Amino acid sequence: MVLIGINEFIYVASILFLIGLLGVLLRRNTIVIFMSIELMLNAINLALVAFSRFNNSMDGSIFVFFIMTVAAAEVALGLAIIVMLYRQRQTILVNELKQLNG
Amino acid sequence: MDNQIMDLLFNLLGILFLPFFCSLIIVFSGQIRNTVAPFFSLLSGLGSLFLTFLLIKEFSEPIRFSWDWIALGVHKFYIGFFIDSVGLTMLAMIAIVAFAITIFSIAYMSKDDSKGRFFAGLSFFLFSMIGIIFADNLIMIFLFWELVGFSSYLLIGHYFRRDDAKDASQKAFIVNRVGDYGFLIGIILTYWHFGTTNLEALAILIGADVSLISSGIGFFLICGFIGKSAQFPLHVWLPDAMAGPTPVSALIHAATMVAAGIYLLIRVQFMLSFEVMSFISYLGTFVALFAGFCAFAQSDIKRVLAYSTLSQLGYMSAIFGLGFPGIALFHLITHAFFKALLFLGAGSVIHACHHEQCIFKMGGLLKRMPITSLTFIIGTLALCGVYGLSGFYSKDAILIGAHDANNLVFYGLVFAALLTSGYMGRLIWIVFFGSPNSQAAKNAKEVNIIMYLPLVVLSFFAIFVGFTNLWPAQLGATILFDLDYLHHLVNYKVLHNKVLILGSGAWILGLTMAFLFYGRGTKFDQLEKQLPHIYSLLKRRLWVDELYAVYLDKVQKPIAESFSFLDEMVLRGFIVRGCAGLIGIIGASLRLLQVGRLDNYVIWFFIGLIAFWLYGLNMF
Amino acid sequence: MIDILFSIFASLVLLSALAVVLNRNAVNSAMFMIVSLVATAGLFILLEAYFLAILQILVYAGAVMVLFLFIIMLLDVDKGENFNFKTRKLSLCATILGVLLLLALILNSFSSNNLPSVELFLIEDSSFIDPGAFDNKAKAFGQLLFTKYMLPFQVIGFLLLVAMIGVIVISKKPKF
Repeated sequence: MVLIGINEFIYVASILFLIGLLGVLLRRNTIVIFMSIELMLNAINLALVAFSRFNNSMDGSIFVFFIMTVAAAEVALGLAIIVMLYRQRQTILVNELKQLNG
Repeated sequence: MDNQIMDLLFNLLGILFLPFFCSLIIVFSGQIRNTVAPFFSLLSGLGSLFLTFLLIKEFSEPIRFSWDWIALGVHKFYIGFFIDSVGLTMLAMIAIVAFAITIFSIAYMSKDDSKGRFFAGLSFFLFSMIGIIFADNLIMIFLFWELVGFSSYLLIGHYFRRDDAKDASQKAFIVNRVGDYGFLIGIILTYWHFGTTNLEALAILIGADVSLISSGIGFFLICGFIGKSAQFPLHVWLPDAMAGPTPVSALIHAATMVAAGIYLLIRVQFMLSFEVMSFISYLGTFVALFAGFCAFAQSDIKRVLAYSTLSQLGYMSAIFGLGFPGIALFHLITHAFFKALLFLGAGSVIHACHHEQCIFKMGGLLKRMPITSLTFIIGTLALCGVYGLSGFYSKDAILIGAHDANNLVFYGLVFAALLTSGYMGRLIWIVFFGSPNSQAAKNAKEVNIIMYLPLVVLSFFAIFVGFTNLWPAQLGATILFDLDYLHHLVNYKVLHNKVLILGSGAWILGLTMAFLFYGRGTKFDQLEKQLPHIYSLLKRRLWVDELYAVYLDKVQKPIAESFSFLDEMVLRGFIVRGCAGLIGIIGASLRLLQVGRLDNYVIWFFIGLIAFWLYGLNMF
Repeated sequence: MIDILFSIFASLVLLSALAVVLNRNAVNSAMFMIVSLVATAGLFILLEAYFLAILQILVYAGAVMVLFLFIIMLLDVDKGENFNFKTRKLSLCATILGVLLLLALILNSFSSNNLPSVELFLIEDSSFIDPGAFDNKAKAFGQLLFTKYMLPFQVIGFLLLVAMIGVIVISKKPKF
């Protein structure tokens, strides 16, 4: 039997975070990038809950609560922006969104 | 606090904040701003006038209020009001002149698209100006001083779509910054040495120990005066500031703001050593002469008046430097009235000639617009110091004082008086007499009553404000003190006669010479035709602007650029931000190859993140 | 028991997250995302944060992912396989290298016994414990939200309002 301590949770959270980061870096589809960002947030949530549990303190959990709320608001706004982007440019692929590139 | 003091406080707060709220209301009234602006300005002007009269009626001894403002560690700062007869005199002058100018602007700006901005700026300017008058410490003066500069910037740049107005507003702002920088250093030094910036406390400290006076602090403090009152070498902004609307020139660049410099001098006089005072005096004499010469080569009616303002400010600082602050204040007050009158008259002429400002395209306006012309001529005569008009009394006192103290300054000022009447005569003969030189002048008609009423009122003041015995007893204690000193000089009678003869001779000679030289309503500049070299020298204003341009371009810019390089690359890049800065610089240089792609930015961001982490783990 | 559940949920979370990132089809990505989120909720339950687990399922799996699916269906932008991943070698290399580097850093930071390796223990009835202690009841959340975290709670509420207005403003069709 393996002892499940905080370390295991932190490893899972870190790897989840890195996978999300990979998604942000590798994908071109803005929606998938956005989902990857959500994955990263989720990883943070997991780490926070684990810390909260092992420190026997409620503060981390409350923060998870707040992060979820913010994430919900962020998703609503972000998706609205993506829809507008699509309407204006007919694409949501980041490599085609290069207006700044002169 | 008993009721009377509370009433007084509310009165002061009312005078100070009425214009402020007026400008606030105008700013926030949105779409209808342009329609309501004149109304509110008029209302606030009337209110200020009324409250000022109340204050004068109630005034018996200096008023003091003080509050804690902020405490930074052991340094405590206060704000407060201090009003004595000097401040009250200034306040009365400002209230009257500002009200007249507000009425004038209602007609003058009636066709303007952004009246709201104009009147809001005007009210905000009045708020800041009154703040200077009320302030009881140097820091508060500086605060309002900057606000005055800011509102002046706004108003000069009123026609910001025109390049000259835009440039002029920036020039005024930047040149004033140079002076204010010195002023700020002066304030800091004052606080350092005396531990307070309260004017009265400083006066008591210095009164107890005269050796505390330091020339260094004095020189820094008068930097503010040199900038704001447009004294040499920071005078360059004032003539350009004429690009603003004419009422603004009348209010800010003739009557009040430029006089704030003199007011500041009077307030800090006790801190100025003998060297500083004599420096101010010679500087003033020089400016009076220099500006007088320059005025001869100007063909823009407002610029002539601007140089005249410069030269009169030179008068004030000259007599101040000789130790007669009261007389400087006296001339400030009389000058404010007749110079505001002259500017408004010029505005009325410009308005009638469809915004033609070149004097050689005017001519013969006396018949076409008699009221404006007559009031303008009254203003001119007052400026030249014709016996019986207000300018005579103050100029007379200045010359007597100068003769008493310093002969060089005296003869300089007499010659400046000759110059004054010379260029003003040139203006008068060319603009108002002879025959019209352009279609616009030919079609000029007398302006409507809203415009000439302020002219008439101001010319009334220009005539009578010199009689100090007509003033309310609460006003002008300092002025009367200095005048009294002059009247009890042993050889006062002799002096008075000498000055009377010299002064009157100067204006008669000046006006006659101008008439003989320029003739009536000429089309071209005689000076330019007959003495082209001198003319071009004066026209270029003795190359001061060019010198600045060369200095900025050849000296300051390379130095600033090398410092900037040092700062950007070495200090900010490597030393302050360390490795992150290094990475930032490398990133910036690599980004030169790949700009504007979201994914690249993400990668750089990511690398930066890793770098931060490594840095945090002390891996470098 | 717990370690078996942990390995199941953890591998589920990570594998489905990888699937989110690597799947070419955005709809499939979203579906795997839901799996990943639900599995995370399972991890929360292992940590005895029951309330948060329910919230996770309700908010993320329920609301947020439905929104994502809606938008994916609405826009329908799958242009084929080549367009889904970045193909430039430089950025690819940089990304892989960077992620590996970060992985090494994380392992380096956490493996050296910095953190306590305690076993999970069951929480006792917490009515006697101090109010700040970890608790799985919704009541504990309510109490903290309305006492210690009153201001952040209000701010979050306001933030939701702002987001709502923002969405309305952004998605309004511009008038031409």
